[in-house]
This record gives sequence, C-alpha cells and structure tokens, in this order.
Amino acid sequence: MTRVGEPARDDDPDRLYTVTRGRSQATRHAFDVVTLIVSEQEPQPGMQSEHARILRLCVRPTAVVEVAAELGLPVSVVKILLGDLLEAGRITARHPRFVPAQAKLPDLDMLKQVLHGLQKL
Amino acid sequence: MTARLRRPTGGPVGPLCVLAAVLAGAGAVAAATAAAPSSERSVVAGWASAAALAWCAAVVVAVVQRGRAGKLRVQLAQAQARVEAAHAAALRAGADTAAAVSEAQASRARANAARTEAEAARIELLAARSETVEARAEAATARAAADDERAELARLAEQTIPAVVGRLRAGASVDTVLVEHRQTAHEDLLRLMAREVAYGERQRAAALAVCATAAGRVQALATSMHAELREMEHRHGEEVLGDLLRLDHSTAQAGRMADSIAVLTGARTGRRWTKPITVESILRGALGRIGAYQRVRLHSASTAAVAGYAAEGVMHALAELLDNATNFSAPPAEVHVYVEELHSGLVITVEDGGLGLSEVWLRRAERAVSGEALDLTALSAGTRLGFAVVGALARKHGLSISFRPSSRGGTGVVVLIPETLVAHPEPGAAEPVRAAVQPALPAAAPQAAPPPVTDGGLPKRRRGQTMAAATGPAAAPALKVRQPETASRFGAFRQAVQGSQPAPPSPATPADLPKDNS
Repeated sequence: MTRVGEPARDDDPDRLYTVTRGRSQATRHAFDVVTLIVSEQEPQPGMQSEHARILRLCVRPTAVVEVAAELGLPVSVVKILLGDLLEAGRITARHPRFVPAQAKLPDLDMLKQVLHGLQKL
Repeated sequence: MTARLRRPTGGPVGPLCVLAAVLAGAGAVAAATAAAPSSERSVVAGWASAAALAWCAAVVVAVVQRGRAGKLRVQLAQAQARVEAAHAAALRAGADTAAAVSEAQASRARANAARTEAEAARIELLAARSETVEARAEAATARAAADDERAELARLAEQTIPAVVGRLRAGASVDTVLVEHRQTAHEDLLRLMAREVAYGERQRAAALAVCATAAGRVQALATSMHAELREMEHRHGEEVLGDLLRLDHSTAQAGRMADSIAVLTGARTGRRWTKPITVESILRGALGRIGAYQRVRLHSASTAAVAGYAAEGVMHALAELLDNATNFSAPPAEVHVYVEELHSGLVITVEDGGLGLSEVWLRRAERAVSGEALDLTALSAGTRLGFAVVGALARKHGLSISFRPSSRGGTGVVVLIPETLVAHPEPGAAEPVRAAVQPALPAAAPQAAPPPVTDGGLPKRRRGQTMAAATGPAAAPALKVRQPETASRFGAFRQAVQGSQPAPPSPATPADLPKDNS
C-alpha cells in the first residue's frame, strides 16, 4: 500500500499544522498542481525551512506537484506555503496553459481528421 | 467542836451576869439606904455603893476570865483539829506515796515492754534495710538491662531499620535483607516491619507498572494514529485537510499526556528518532503538542540538530514549558522562543508576557527542575505535572533549566541543551536542511572504510564530535547519488500525481517544462 517516495511511516516530529501554523486552506486559489513556480529571492537565514527549500528548489521553474513531492508534503500544504511566499513577493507563479504554445495548438477539426485517419489504419 | 457549840451560848452570858450583878448591887444599895436611919443614911449609902462597885468589879472580872477560858478552849479545839488535819494529810501523803510507788513500778514495766518492742523494731528495721539493699541491687540490674535495651532500640531505629528499608526500596527481598540482621534483638519486630515495607514497595511498584503500561499503550495508539493521520493528510485533498489537522492536533496533545505519565512513572519515552532532529523540527514538534501553539512565535536561524535518542525528551520538555508559558499569558499575548548556539550547547529561551510566576512558584519550579530525584508525593493531586515532568527529563538528558523574570513582563525559561546532544551540519553544506530531513543511509552505500555504526546500522557519533563528522565521507556521496536531476524529478512527479487523486494527466514531460520556459 505504501507508495514509493511517500513517507512510509510518520518519521518527522513536526506535524503539518505547525508547518502551516494552523491553516488548512490557502488564502488565494492561485495555484493548481501544475502551476509553475519560480523563486525571486535567495533563501534567508531565519526563514521557515520549507520556504527556504522551495526557494532553493524553484531556482528553475518547477510545478507545484513537483515541489510537493520533493518536500514530502501534501499538495494542499505546499499550496499554503507557496501562498505565503507569493504574498511576500519571493516567488512568481505561472500557469502552463497560458504559455504561448497554447495558441499554436491545432484546431479541433484537424484533430478529428487525424483521429479518423488513425482509426482507419 | 465543842468550843464552837458553846461559844454562841457563852457570849451573852457575860453581859447578862454583869447586868444582873449591877441590878442586884443597885437593889442592895437602895435597900440598905432605905433601912438605915436617916443620920446614918449617907454613910451606909457610901459603903453600900462601894460594896456594890466591888461586887460589880468582881463579877466583871469573873465574866472576863470566863470569856478568856472560852477562847482558850476554842483555840485548843482548833489546834486539835489542825493536828487531826495534819495527821489526815500525813495519812493521805502516805497513800499518795504508795500510789506513786506502784505507778513507778507500772511505768518501769511499761518501759521494759517498750524496750523489748524497740528491740523488735530494730531487728525489723535491719531486716528491712537488708531488703532495701537487695531491692536496690535488683533495681540497678534492671536499669542496666533497660539501658542495654534502649541502646539496642536506638541502634535499631538509627541504623538497622534505615539500612533494611533502604535495601528493600532498592528491590531486595525480605529474607535476603534479614539474613544480615539475624542476631538483632528485635528480630521479630524487624521482620514484621520489613514485610510491611516490602509489601508497600511492591504495591507502589505495581501501581507504577500499571500506569506505565497503560501510558505505553496510549503512546503506541497515539503514534499509530499519527502515522495514519499523516497518511490520510497526504491522500486526501484540501476539503478534509482542516479536519484531519484538528484530529492530528488532539492526538498530539493526548500523546503528550501519555508521555508525561510515562515519564513520571519512569517508563521509557514514547518513541525514538533514528536520526538527528533539527532545532526547527524540535521546536515545531514541541509546539504541535500544546493547545495554544498558534500564539507561539519561533525565532530560530539555527541549523543545528539534536541527537535522535534525546530528541523526544527535549521536545517533550519544551512542550511542557511552552504549555506553561501559553497558560500563564492571557490569549492575545504571544510567547516567543529564541534559539542561540553557544560553545557549551544550544540555548533555547521561552519568554511569555504573562503575569509572571510568583516568588513561591518560581522557587518551586526551580526545585522541580533541579537535580533532585522525583518524589511522586510532592505532586499535588495531579495538577501542575509539567514541572515535575520537565525535571525528570532534564535529569535524564542533562538539560539545565533556569527561570528568570522576562524582560517582556512574564517569565523567561532558559533551557541549555548540552553540546554532547547537539549535532551541527557540515560547514559549507549546500543544503543542510535537506541533509537533515532526508537522512543519508551510509550503511547502504558500499564504503572502503565504513564509519563506526551501532547495532541498528546508524552512524555512531563520538562524544564531542558532530553527526556530520561521524557520517562524514559516507553521507556526502549518498546525497550526491540523489542528484541526477531528471530521473528523480520524473519519479517525484509521478508519485505526487498519484498521491493527489484529482490530478489531471500531465500536459507535458516535466523535464521539458523548464526548457519550454527558457
């Protein structure tokens, strides 16, 4: 039942509500699992260790879900932490579906034709 | 006597005779005068009167002589009476003398009797004296015996009993202990007392064991609930996260209560961490176990870690102190925690802005966390267990804890975690936090000269040496192994997507995404 990479057992003393300081909902719904995160600052001493790790991790754009996997934290908790960083201006977030590549996608008719062609093979 | 009878009759006889003689003389004179012729009358009268006078004188003389004879007779009678009286007195005196003589004899007899009595009394007295001497000798013997007894009792009370009780408290059996004191005078008493003490000691031990066992079960339950809750927190989305976190929080507090009972009953701590725990995690682990954790602010830039075997105790002690601090300051007030790294160890200061402990409570708290052994009877009816728990944990791990008034108005508690319990990250390590949270497994990587490890396969850290130095060359390559980015990212991405159910199919290969953006 235990999945690889997920904490197999409860081997961290800090509970998640202390990581989020009691919050269970992100204040802003600015993130979904594939939102790309880019850090804007270097981590600073005295920062919460998760924040520092996110900043270190997101030197290159990284998806929320990747951050969650790397930190070993649930996605919902990571979203709360990212919300903190976003409010402080330490990261920027971008949705991949808004990337310019979306405009160049082939239209629906073209895709249907391809599908028919493939089925006829 | 006759004189006395005659005397009243003799008295008036004289004057009567004199009167009669006078009357007779006068009558004779008158008769002679009347008979004589007138010429001769004067001569006759003269002679007659002279004769009458002589007659009267003779009568008077006779009366006087008679009176004198009467008086003499009376005197004679009186003298006779006096002689008789003297005689009688003489007779009486003789009789008295005889009585006195007989009395003297009687008294002599009495004196004799008294003397014999006195003799008898003297003999009795002697006998009594000898008895007294004997009695005194007996009393002296008895007193000596009593002194011996008293000395024996004193020895029993001052040496034997404390020794026996001490041995019994240490767990020795009654028979074993009494073998050493078999010759003691009060062996029965000692045996009875030893049995009672041993019984009480067994009862105490049994009660403690029951509490410890129960606490251990609750601890185990709390630990497994924590694991399940964490798994659920990963599995479920935001909609139930709040509820799960609340449950998690309650479980943590219940677990702390069980931990406290376990500490007070001398049981082992709830769980052991198999890796050094960073200070941040220590503080958050402590925070998670108290009710008002949201009022606590952490100020820590330390990257040090606490050795795994002591981490649980340190967390528990800090949790108790934080709980006290939040309880002592009214809800809006915050509690601040500062961390400072010193050469002697790690100093954690908890400052509250509450009313501050009174002098009495400050002293009591200092005493509770001092080196004195825990006395369960000092706990007042289950309240204020916190300080006792902190004291026990401080003794166990060598923490030194002191209280002082806080500059914020409340109380400041300073906890010094000794250097021997502190592990520092390798200087210059790129990701100290990451290295601590995701521990390297040096035993897994084949090494030419593996560092000393414990039975459980954990790196062994020598006293005064940091954990990083102990794992040293083994840890760094193990970390590097994880570095190949693409593979790990693929893996991580896949796992995360599986972890959250409503995740959409991946729009693109994650490794390509950065390239798209760049």
